[in-house]
Amino acid sequence: MPSFNPQFVRNFVSPGFGTEIIYSLVIIVCSLMIYFGTKELYELSSHKGIKYFRQAFLFFAIAYFFRSFIKFILVYFSANRILDISPRIFAPLLSQVTLFLFMYFSSMAIFYLLYSVMWKKWNGSSKKIYLFHLLAFIISASIILSRNVLIYLGVNIFLFIIVLFVVYTSYQNTKKKPKGHKHNLYVIYLLLSFFLILNIIDILIPEFLQIFQLFIYIASIIIFLMMLYKVLKKTGPS
Amino acid sequence: MAKRNKLEIIKDILTIIHSNHNSIKSTPLLRQSNISTARFKEYFNELIEKKFIKEVNNKNNKSISLTDKGFKFLEKYKTIVNFIEEFEL
Repeated sequence: MPSFNPQFVRNFVSPGFGTEIIYSLVIIVCSLMIYFGTKELYELSSHKGIKYFRQAFLFFAIAYFFRSFIKFILVYFSANRILDISPRIFAPLLSQVTLFLFMYFSSMAIFYLLYSVMWKKWNGSSKKIYLFHLLAFIISASIILSRNVLIYLGVNIFLFIIVLFVVYTSYQNTKKKPKGHKHNLYVIYLLLSFFLILNIIDILIPEFLQIFQLFIYIASIIIFLMMLYKVLKKTGPS
Repeated sequence: MAKRNKLEIIKDILTIIHSNHNSIKSTPLLRQSNISTARFKEYFNELIEKKFIKEVNNKNNKSISLTDKGFKFLEKYKTIVNFIEEFEL
């Protein structure tokens, strides 16, 4: 642990860090409200789709918690990137494990969201979710081991391609149904995943999206609030 | 008639019990449920296990009644179905 560090104190009290905390807190609270707001519906129905939908938002909350923890570590060590922190000044475990967990829970949040709309199409088999866990593990391990910007971008583009493919397939299935009026939902799912991926890029390659940071924060909050509003409107008073 | 899904069958079984003054024997329940005996047994065991229904001993007869959780399911059924449809789950 470093001794008294004036730069850390300056960073800690800067408006940037306050914005980060409020931003993460709003998204964590929205995600947990969705998770707990749908608890009764799941307990009564034991419906797999509701289960995966809830899991997605629990994982969103955990992912954003680790995101804010990474931001705290960056401020504490006055570092720009999490992998720039020298293993000598701090136990390498903390920064590496936090980044690994952030990547793992972020990937799983996206996978659970996609799985919640696709599980019926995939014959309701819950075994496929283990494949997603494995994929999330591989993604997280490759981020930790590679330390290469191109691989970071490649992994995120790969994640986004999976999202696009699944959302497009679901959208096509909905269009075939007689009352295909829920297309706006897929836009929300797409945006939820897209902005989480932008948040991942913001953590891995901070300089890449620096000028859009505030826009990403505001857009992410709006999307989570929209989702929360839709969920609360449908679940009604418990 | 379209094939009923699992939630619909559960709702139908619980509704039959409810509409019979919350007390019905298993044979008429099976007949009115409109499912095979084997499937009825599966659903019956599941509903007992989930504590949606309970068996009540009345003198020499056994009847089936809804529990509070069973009533809650019927009350929330529309909300559950609307939620599943809204989010394409």
